[in-house]
Amino acid sequence: MGPLIPNGVIPYEWDNIIAILIGIAFGFVLEASGFSSSRKLAGVFYGYDFAVLKVFFTAALVAVIGVYYMDYLGFLDINQLYVHPTYLWGAIIGGIIMGVGFVAGGFCPGTSLCAVAIGKIDAIVYVGGIMVGIFIFSELYPLFQPIYEGYFYGNVTLEDSLGINPYWFVFIFSIIAIVAFVISDMVQKRVKKIFY
Amino acid sequence: MVKKKIAKVLAFRYKILAAILILLAGGLVLLPKYQKHEGIKPEELLSNTISPERYMTTDRLAHIIINQDPSFILIDVRDEKSFASYSLPNAINIPLKKLFDEDSEGYLNQNQFDVVLFSNDHFYADQAWILCNRLGYKHMRVLKGGINQWYTTIINPMKPAENMAAAEYELYTTRKAASMFFGVVYPEQVKVEAPKIVKEAPKKVITIEKKKKAEAEGGC
Amino acid sequence: MKELEKTKRISIAATLFILAVIIGLLTYKRPKNVYAINSKDTLEKITSANYFTTLEELKNPEYVLIDIRNQYEFEKGHLENAINIYAAEILSDDNIKVFDELKESNKTAILYGNNPQEVNAPFLILYQLGYDNIKLLTIENSYLQNKLITKNSEIEKSEADITAFINESVKKANATETVKKEVAAPPKKVITIEKKKKAEAEGGC
Repeated sequence: MGPLIPNGVIPYEWDNIIAILIGIAFGFVLEASGFSSSRKLAGVFYGYDFAVLKVFFTAALVAVIGVYYMDYLGFLDINQLYVHPTYLWGAIIGGIIMGVGFVAGGFCPGTSLCAVAIGKIDAIVYVGGIMVGIFIFSELYPLFQPIYEGYFYGNVTLEDSLGINPYWFVFIFSIIAIVAFVISDMVQKRVKKIFY
Repeated sequence: MVKKKIAKVLAFRYKILAAILILLAGGLVLLPKYQKHEGIKPEELLSNTISPERYMTTDRLAHIIINQDPSFILIDVRDEKSFASYSLPNAINIPLKKLFDEDSEGYLNQNQFDVVLFSNDHFYADQAWILCNRLGYKHMRVLKGGINQWYTTIINPMKPAENMAAAEYELYTTRKAASMFFGVVYPEQVKVEAPKIVKEAPKKVITIEKKKKAEAEGGC
Repeated sequence: MKELEKTKRISIAATLFILAVIIGLLTYKRPKNVYAINSKDTLEKITSANYFTTLEELKNPEYVLIDIRNQYEFEKGHLENAINIYAAEILSDDNIKVFDELKESNKTAILYGNNPQEVNAPFLILYQLGYDNIKLLTIENSYLQNKLITKNSEIEKSEADITAFINESVKKANATETVKKEVAAPPKKVITIEKKKKAEAEGGC
């Protein structure tokens, strides 16, 4: 049956409307989890608040378990899902830049927009910075192109590249997640409380 | 009192949720595995194959070729040798063995053209059709009777006997005209007809429409 | 009781998630017929393996004849000891059972119809479902005064050399008439296919 749009259950034209609905829900959840506060977001790096880690790890876990169950039950064809292509060095370098920006600014692009929506000035400055960054990248694109388009590994998943059974992978992944939650809780208890 | 009890249970709520997640993930490992379908259901495939809708007659195909209908691609599924010795004009050779090669997919799995498969009779072409149909490829046709039928109807049409209906004669004349188009020369034709000028067929550039993937916007 | 208020959302979400999984499991029905081999393997097998039989080889006691024509034609005349399973119904429960039994008892099912082309589709579908104990009888059936005539037929045989025929016709025409006539072959069309490119997705958070 699924995925719904490629299989024509939902017409292609509904793409944008669905995207807006999902976007609204996503923004709501981000704001409701308190992710429009840069201090909360940065807390994961200083060890006083691990909400970011927990929320995103749980989301990934629920999604992966749900997708595999739906695939098993025939509601969804996992092979038709879009797999993001891997550009190895582009991803590594981009990840480092993004991480530095995350620690320094206290937002990631999604949450910064969320924070702009509730009127945070630091977020407005942050988004301005994103725009400048995009502008610089576009202007210097020919320079970056070899990295941006090189080291292409195709649309691979972890299961493909490691060659392990996806079901076991999900199981191990969920155990890792739970262990990470426990450890983060322990760390949080030891670190001095910060009120923000 | 009740509220207190609930609160007591809920003190463990994160542990309970964690346990549920691990249980569900473990369930995935333990569930009995079965072979997954690739392509459409066998029942659907059967009803598709039973229907004669996919067949195209040689007369219709001749008409298409002569009128240079741009919306058709002809695909010859015989081996290279037979293809080299004779094939329909503008046909592309994809031997049955290479049906699922990467280069072939662009021709077979697309939405812009009608694909006509043919072989010597329609046995191999049918097999190719069934395999493609299982994968959900659309717009595929099979030339009924294949090259052999092509030969007996278009290239070398039988002259109807004198007691046959007028329609038969008409069919014969069209077929004969078609065979002339495909290069057969009749003795009586030469006197009347000046050398045929075949119009330059427009270069056929097939650009396969990209299937748009939903853009994945990741994010946090 | 502030704690309690806070939990509500998590509990609701968790309950819904589990409910969805349970409903899914309960409504789940295993598909009846499942392909055993994928398309690529099928293609490789049908292009390499020999799955044809001829009339002469029929004497093998391990062979079971299956007539895939409809009941009317079957009753009009059929090969000796053949069972009638109409092509459109090969996937029904009873008929699948027949094929299962044949497979278990290591017998080979020989499918035949009015011509090999007609058997092609049912054969290939069963083949993809994993019944590799089936073969295809390459015969042609016709009727002569209501009597069934069966003869071997060769599939994919090229009946005529068309190039030769065309050249011959040109030669003949040239012989009768001295006027030279050029037969222009229809021009070759150049067809270029653009490979599908995946749309690049811009992710980012």
